Amino acid sequence: MSERFEAGKAGKGRAGPPRLCVVPCSGIGKSYGSVTREAAYVVTEELRPEATQIVPLSLLVLGDADAQAAVRAAPVITLDGCKLACASINVRQAGGVVAQEVVVLDFYRQHRDLKPQGIAELNEGGLALARALAEEIAATCDGLEAAEEPQHA
Amino acid sequence: MPSLPQRKVGIVACSGEELPEGTVTRLAALKVLEELRPAQTVTICLPLFLAGGEGDRAFAKFYPTIAVDGCEKRCAARATELYSNKPAASFLVDDIVTQRDLARPQGLRRPSAASRAAADALAEVIAVEVDRLLAVRWSRSQGAILEAEDASQGVSTAACACGSGIPVTTVQLDGRSVQIMALAPILEFAYGQGLRAGGPVPGQIMETVRMYNEIPAEDDALWAQAVSLAWQEYCTGREVTHGA
Repeated sequence: MSERFEAGKAGKGRAGPPRLCVVPCSGIGKSYGSVTREAAYVVTEELRPEATQIVPLSLLVLGDADAQAAVRAAPVITLDGCKLACASINVRQAGGVVAQEVVVLDFYRQHRDLKPQGIAELNEGGLALARALAEEIAATCDGLEAAEEPQHA
Repeated sequence: MPSLPQRKVGIVACSGEELPEGTVTRLAALKVLEELRPAQTVTICLPLFLAGGEGDRAFAKFYPTIAVDGCEKRCAARATELYSNKPAASFLVDDIVTQRDLARPQGLRRPSAASRAAADALAEVIAVEVDRLLAVRWSRSQGAILEAEDASQGVSTAACACGSGIPVTTVQLDGRSVQIMALAPILEFAYGQGLRAGGPVPGQIMETVRMYNEIPAEDDALWAQAVSLAWQEYCTGREVTHGA
């Protein structure tokens, strides 16, 4: 098993369902792609490190067995930088279930004051947009975890 | 058939988000695309190969591509070959780090100084490879270099045919004319990095020259001498230009 991410295993140091997968689009040609990557890092490193993990899209494209197992074992949140929706399409082709599909351009339309610029280095607007997106993903993560918990009488 | 751009090299970076080396590939590709060779390169989106990006697949099928990978899985190189055509060149971050004796890259979201140094070195290598690929004759129908041997022996002619600048420098070694591949861009990059003439030729320059040229063991000292002379002339030329 790859040490990079876990397939079908509970989050680090806790019992429970497999870690939710976050798959950013990997685009390097536009600012929106950078926003997806930054948002994924904020969620997996800061907001919900125990419950989430990034699965790299490049491995899914190549049909890597560990990456495919990871997206098949847990709900997936896909973050796409454009309407071509590479992340969503690749996850579904790998047999994963997309629990939430975010297109950053649509998200930006709800936050027009946070205009992203730059690719290698996002501007303040881009970083703020990514954080807002990450907070929404964290809320989705909480909802999914709550739904997974056993019901008590 | 989509309309394909002329004389461009596609760069496919693995961009692996879970490894520091993946971040290095992304930074290096961006540096080439935005700073070093903006007019000669395009980025090819790796995930689009599978998601149905016909334009990206077609480009990589008929034009030279450089795959840049962060780990031995070589996703960029293998996916490019799987979905369109074998990359014309393939680089691995580890190889560059080892060759240049650099520190290991660290950091995913916030790349370390070591990551940035590795990205700079990788970008340099990619840029030189871009120049080399634009200098040789490329078959669109075959998606491969044409007449590789002829090209290596007479690249100046091929370079003129595609109008891509000066890919080789001809020097005299012991009365013989010898062509050094990509010497001009190597010197240009070294100068841009702040290196200057005044002592022995910097080791980085000879290392990079060796990567793109097969230097016969018996000629090693002569090559070093020729590169040193070319380096001194280049620096003098730049200083004169700046002083004018």
